Amino acid sequence: MTHETDICIIGGGITSAMLAQKLSELRSGLQVTVVEAGRSIFDTQNRGRYRERANDYGEHPWHDDYIEDQQAAGIISMTMAVGGLALHWGGACNRFSEEDLRLKSIYGLAVDWPIEWNDLERYYCEAERRLNVSGAPSAYAADARSQPYPQPPIPLSYNLQILKAWAEKSGLKFDGLPMARNLTPFGGRGACCVYDTCGEVCPSGARYSPDFTFRQLMEPKKIVLHDRTLVRRLVLDDRRTTVVAVQGVHQDRPTDPVEYRAKTFVIASGYCWSSHLLLLSSNSRFPNGFANSSGLVGRYMNGHKFINAIANIDDQTFPGQNMTHSLISREYFRCPTDKPFVRHDTRVWESSAGRDPRLRAPDGKLLLGDELMADWRSRTKGSSVRLRAYVDVHPSADSRLTLDASKKNRYGDPMPKIEHAFDALTVAREAATRAHVQGVFDTMAKASNGRIVNRSEGDYLDHPGGGCRMGTDRASSVCDSYGRTHDHENLFVVGAPTTPTGGCTNGTLTFVALTLRSADEIARTFPRA
Amino acid sequence: MQRRTLLQWAASCATVLPFQRLRLLAQPRELTPAAIATLHEVGATVLPASLGAERVRGTVDMFVQWTRGYREGVAMAHGYGHPRLQKTGASPVPAYMMQLAALEAEARAKGGRWSSLDLDTRRALLDAALTKANVRALPPRPMGQHVVADLMAFYFRSSEANDVCYSAMIQREVCRPIAVTIQRPKPLR
Repeated sequence: MTHETDICIIGGGITSAMLAQKLSELRSGLQVTVVEAGRSIFDTQNRGRYRERANDYGEHPWHDDYIEDQQAAGIISMTMAVGGLALHWGGACNRFSEEDLRLKSIYGLAVDWPIEWNDLERYYCEAERRLNVSGAPSAYAADARSQPYPQPPIPLSYNLQILKAWAEKSGLKFDGLPMARNLTPFGGRGACCVYDTCGEVCPSGARYSPDFTFRQLMEPKKIVLHDRTLVRRLVLDDRRTTVVAVQGVHQDRPTDPVEYRAKTFVIASGYCWSSHLLLLSSNSRFPNGFANSSGLVGRYMNGHKFINAIANIDDQTFPGQNMTHSLISREYFRCPTDKPFVRHDTRVWESSAGRDPRLRAPDGKLLLGDELMADWRSRTKGSSVRLRAYVDVHPSADSRLTLDASKKNRYGDPMPKIEHAFDALTVAREAATRAHVQGVFDTMAKASNGRIVNRSEGDYLDHPGGGCRMGTDRASSVCDSYGRTHDHENLFVVGAPTTPTGGCTNGTLTFVALTLRSADEIARTFPRA
Repeated sequence: MQRRTLLQWAASCATVLPFQRLRLLAQPRELTPAAIATLHEVGATVLPASLGAERVRGTVDMFVQWTRGYREGVAMAHGYGHPRLQKTGASPVPAYMMQLAALEAEARAKGGRWSSLDLDTRRALLDAALTKANVRALPPRPMGQHVVADLMAFYFRSSEANDVCYSAMIQREVCRPIAVTIQRPKPLR
């Protein structure tokens, strides 16, 4: 079966939703078709019940949101469904800083992004508006904004008020984390009721979720969404380097290939499946895969490391008020050029770590009934505080996504394998970076008679991106700043894969901002009738 | 059909019949009244008496409801960072039944009903049962290892228990207006 459309978007996550929404506004006459491998999970009315089952029985609130044989080694989530990982993201919407775009110019590290900060900042504002972000202006003047947040900040819980006062004794300034969470109903979604399960499922829809956007676009037929359809190959024009079609299969009709013919193709499949599709699409003219004349598709896979700690302090809090909200300091987003390079955010959460009910006393005695309650209560004086820093680390070219011939899906396609690696300078400063972050945590802990009682480090990179990095030089990048691939004029890649480096704070808002910028370019350059 | 042929046919059928499934189907899906009665007796020991007998009894009843709502083979959260597929296991009810029967039998061996034993004896019996079931810590929620640990987790991991512990109306994970959270939690009434 062949479908004709104007713009074909491959992938159905948050960047796809934002792109489809904006294209439908800018070029309402164009037919936009979104093709997603996973299924649509649109039964919003059941999410309260799913949340209860998740809390009570550990059941997954997103039924069948994965495809068992379409998985990657090194991936951080198995979710493959309309809405993607943003079905169950926390909603954190903090911006990168100008330093992320100028690492080479300022510090002689990694690469610069081919975008001016002021240009990206405009799109941050647009992303915040579309996601209805709730936030406070940063306490740091360098984080100046051209527009206010669309919503006031999420009010700090009593606990976070206490922790803010504590944390700021270190000299760092903290704000509530900006979040895509409705304080009042907006965009067909409800207001926040502090269910406190943003990262699993939000029954009210207050935390932005792309499935709402897709439904709102589909019902008035502004776009067409084909779910459960896995795109397996891009197809080239016989003589030119333009892409003429994508080919795939619907899950229910595996022997009946489906083809989408379009004038423009946009890969919005996230950090893993975007590079994967390009590599899978190799042919005799592009034996290393599409868009890969630089050899960099699947390389420079990025993300940020994270360092955690738990502090015990004397100030009293009451765990459970709003555990998914947090504080952020952007103090170390900017590193003086005459100091050793280190960049990271600093986050603070209320916590009950070490203060939860326990079955046995330290001497091993089994605690029963009121004994257990008394033991628990005796450990609730003061507070536990969860600390975390996302650390700016830079990928090497060997930070790769490759095709693993030993693992194939039902159609015989090799599955991706992601192995992260850092450049030599990142490796060289690793110990100093760790010492710096631990020092910041130690300094914070000193207030309120505090001390660090637990330290740990993440063993994966969070908010991964890369694999199709953008740049001005076609020899050292896969696409331009709009995501247009250097090798194929009508093929775009958007969002996380295009980022050259992973920053030092949550990436989703940046992925969306970059995509909205791409949308302008796609709409502007799409031929008018 | 000759006798030998019949026996061969029966033997070959035996290899393909879903005996495992039949065995599972034969197992109890719900706690029996006797098991529930034992659970109520044990509940009075492992749940805080300060709640009052009625709330303790109500908590046990809610736990029994929990067992009725359990579903086998349902996909569990596949996690973030290092995801993996997992499904909920077999119903814990058959194991619960055996564990409760064992506790009841141990109590009888010690000379009477569970509630008639002194606290040290009850503690020793529970300690031995939990150790045998390899329960080392309070589960994050009922996990099917041992009925006593699960009943305790059912209560002590709840939002209600958190409020009791802090003597404050925190209402963790209970739907409520954000405005409620900006104040110091009110004392528990």
